[in-house]
Amino acid sequence: MPSPLIQLDDVHFAWPGQPQLLDIASFTLDRGERVFLKGPSGSGKTTLLGLLGGVLLPGNGSIRVLETDLPSLSASARDRFRADHTGYIFQMFNLLPYLSVVENVTLPCRFSPLRRGRALAHNDSLEQCATGLLAGLGLSDPALLRRSVNELSIGQQQRVAAARALIGSPELVIADEPTSALDADSREAFLRLLFAECERGGSSLLFVSHDSSLEPLFDRALSLGELNRAAPTAEVL
Amino acid sequence: MYLLHLAIKSLANRRFSAILTVLAIALSVTLLLAVEKVRTEARASFTSTIAGTDLVVGARSGSVQLLLYSVFRIGNATNNIRWDSYQKVANHPRVEWAIPISLGDSHRGFRVMGTNALYFEHYRYGRDQTLELALGALPGDLYDAVLGADVARELGYDLDTEMVLAHGTGAVSFVDHGDKPFRVRGILNKTGTPVDRTIHISLEGMEALHVDWQQGMPARGAAAISAEQARQMDLTPKAITAVLLGLTSPIATFSVQREINQYTGEPLQAILPGVALQELWSLLGVAEKALFIVSLFVVLTGLVGMLTAILSSLNERRREMAILRSVGARPQHVFSLLLLEAASLALAGILLGLGLMYLGLWLARPLILSHYGLFIAITPPGVYEWQLLGAILGASILMGSVPAWRAYRQSLADGLSIRT
Repeated sequence: MPSPLIQLDDVHFAWPGQPQLLDIASFTLDRGERVFLKGPSGSGKTTLLGLLGGVLLPGNGSIRVLETDLPSLSASARDRFRADHTGYIFQMFNLLPYLSVVENVTLPCRFSPLRRGRALAHNDSLEQCATGLLAGLGLSDPALLRRSVNELSIGQQQRVAAARALIGSPELVIADEPTSALDADSREAFLRLLFAECERGGSSLLFVSHDSSLEPLFDRALSLGELNRAAPTAEVL
Repeated sequence: MYLLHLAIKSLANRRFSAILTVLAIALSVTLLLAVEKVRTEARASFTSTIAGTDLVVGARSGSVQLLLYSVFRIGNATNNIRWDSYQKVANHPRVEWAIPISLGDSHRGFRVMGTNALYFEHYRYGRDQTLELALGALPGDLYDAVLGADVARELGYDLDTEMVLAHGTGAVSFVDHGDKPFRVRGILNKTGTPVDRTIHISLEGMEALHVDWQQGMPARGAAAISAEQARQMDLTPKAITAVLLGLTSPIATFSVQREINQYTGEPLQAILPGVALQELWSLLGVAEKALFIVSLFVVLTGLVGMLTAILSSLNERRREMAILRSVGARPQHVFSLLLLEAASLALAGILLGLGLMYLGLWLARPLILSHYGLFIAITPPGVYEWQLLGAILGASILMGSVPAWRAYRQSLADGLSIRT
C-alpha cells in the first residue's frame, strides 16, 4: 500500500500569546483521494491550510506531505515544495486582474520548473496546456479567453482558478471555499468538472467548506471540529 | 525576467498613478539635466566665443560688464573711447593688432557692430577658428553690411538685400536711419557665437549714420545730410566702444594692461578675457550651485512621490501578493517584484526626462541664443550626465526597497490568506 499523500501526527498550533487553536491527533489524505473537510469560520481552517502549505509551522508534531517532513525544511524550501506540489483555489477573486486568462492559468509554471516540465511533457506550449485545461473545465470559447479576467463571471473566474491550480499536475489541490460565491446548480457543475480534471491529472483534492450539502459528492468527509481536539466549543454554530 | 513582465503589467493596471509618478520623475530629471546642460554649455559657449584676443579695452567700468557688451553683445557701454585714445593704443609697440568696435545700433533686434578689416582678419573663436564668408565679400562700400549666419537665416536676407538700421539696441526702435540704407554684401559662416547674430558694417558707415545727428536726435530739414553727401565727408569716427587687442607676445599682457589702465588721456580699462570670464563664473557660481541643489531636491521630491505611490498601493495589493504566493512566488519574489516596479518607474521617468530635456533644448535654443547670446550644442549625454542618471536610478532602487521590504514582511505574515 502506497504511503498517504498527507500525514499529520499530533500537530499542535497556537498563535503567539493565544490559546491552542489546533490539536490534531492524526489526519491522512491518500493519493488520488477527494476529501471534504467541513469547518465553520474561526475553526482554524485557514490555519490548517497554512500548515499544509508550509506557510506556518506547528508548535510540535509532524506534517508529512509526499513523505517530506515540512517543518524540517527551510522556509524557502517549503515555498518551493508548495509551488511544486500544491495548487490552490480560493473563495473568490483568485485571479490577477492585469494578466490575461491564459497568463493567469500558466502562472504556477513561472515559479515551479517542475510543474512547467510536467505541463510541457504532453503539450507543445504552456498556452496550449492552459487552453486544454480551460476547455476541460468548460471554458473553450476563444473570445472568452481574450477577455479581461474582470469581465468574467464569478463561476468562470473560479474555473480559471481551478485550471491554474491544476496546471502541471500537482499532487495536491487545496480548495478553500471555492464554491461559496456560486449558486447551487453551478456548485455541483463546478465540482464535477474539478473532479474530472483532478482525476485526469492524478491530483488529490482537499476541499474545505462549511456547506455540507456538497458532502455526498466526495470520497470521504471530515469535520474539523471533530478532528481538532482543541476546538473552541463556544464558537460552534 | 517573468517578474519584470509581472511588474510592468501590474503598473500598467495602475497606469494613472504610474503615469503621474513617471511624469513627476521625468520633469525633475528634465530640470536637473537642463540646469546641468545650461551650466556646462554656457561655460563652453562663453569660453569659445573669444580666442586669440589678449586684452579687451573699453571705458572704465566693471571688467565683466566690458566683456559682456564688447564680446557677447549683452548690455551697453557706459561710455566711449575717443578715437585718439584708440590710435595711441593701436600704435603701442607691443600691440600687434587692435580691432576697433563700435556698437549702439540695431536692425530688427540684431546688434549692428561697426568695425574694420582687422576684425575679419584677427578675430578668433572656438579653437582658434577664423571668421569665414559663406557668401559674398567683406564690406567694400561705405553702406555695405556683412551678416552673421543667423541674421541672414532668420530674416531671410540674401546678398544685395537692402536694410534700414535703427538707432539704439532695442528690438523695437522709434528712430531709424531710413535715409541711409545698407546693402548686404556678405554672409558669414555659422560660428555658434554671438557673431552669428551680429550685423557688421564699417566704422565709417557707422559714422555716416550719425554724421548729422545732434543731441542724440537726427537732424531735420536743411541740416540733414544725405547718404551721397556723407560720402564726401571725413568719416573718421570720433569715438568707438571697445578695442580687442592682440599683442606681439603674451608676456607683454600685464605690462600693456597696466599702461592702459593708467592712461591719463581718459579713463580706460583693459581686461584679460579669460580672467573676466573667471570672474563671471565666480559670480554665477553661487547661483549655479543653488540651482543644482534645488534641482537635486526636485528629483528627490519626484522619488518620494514614487515611494508614496507604491507604499499607498501596498495595502490594496495584499490580495495580489497572496495570489502570487499561492502560485509559488516566494517572499523574495515579492520583494524583487516591488523593487523592479520602482526601478521601472524610475527608468521610464529618466528616459522620458531625457527626451523632454532634448525637446525643450531644441525648442528653447533659438530663444536662448537670441536673448543671451548663448549657443547650446545638442550633444548626447556625457559621462557626468550618465553618472547623475545612474545615481537617480540607484536612489530610486534604494527607495523602492522600502515598500519592497514592507511587502516582503506583509507576505510573510499573510501567507496564503487573502486579506483586504
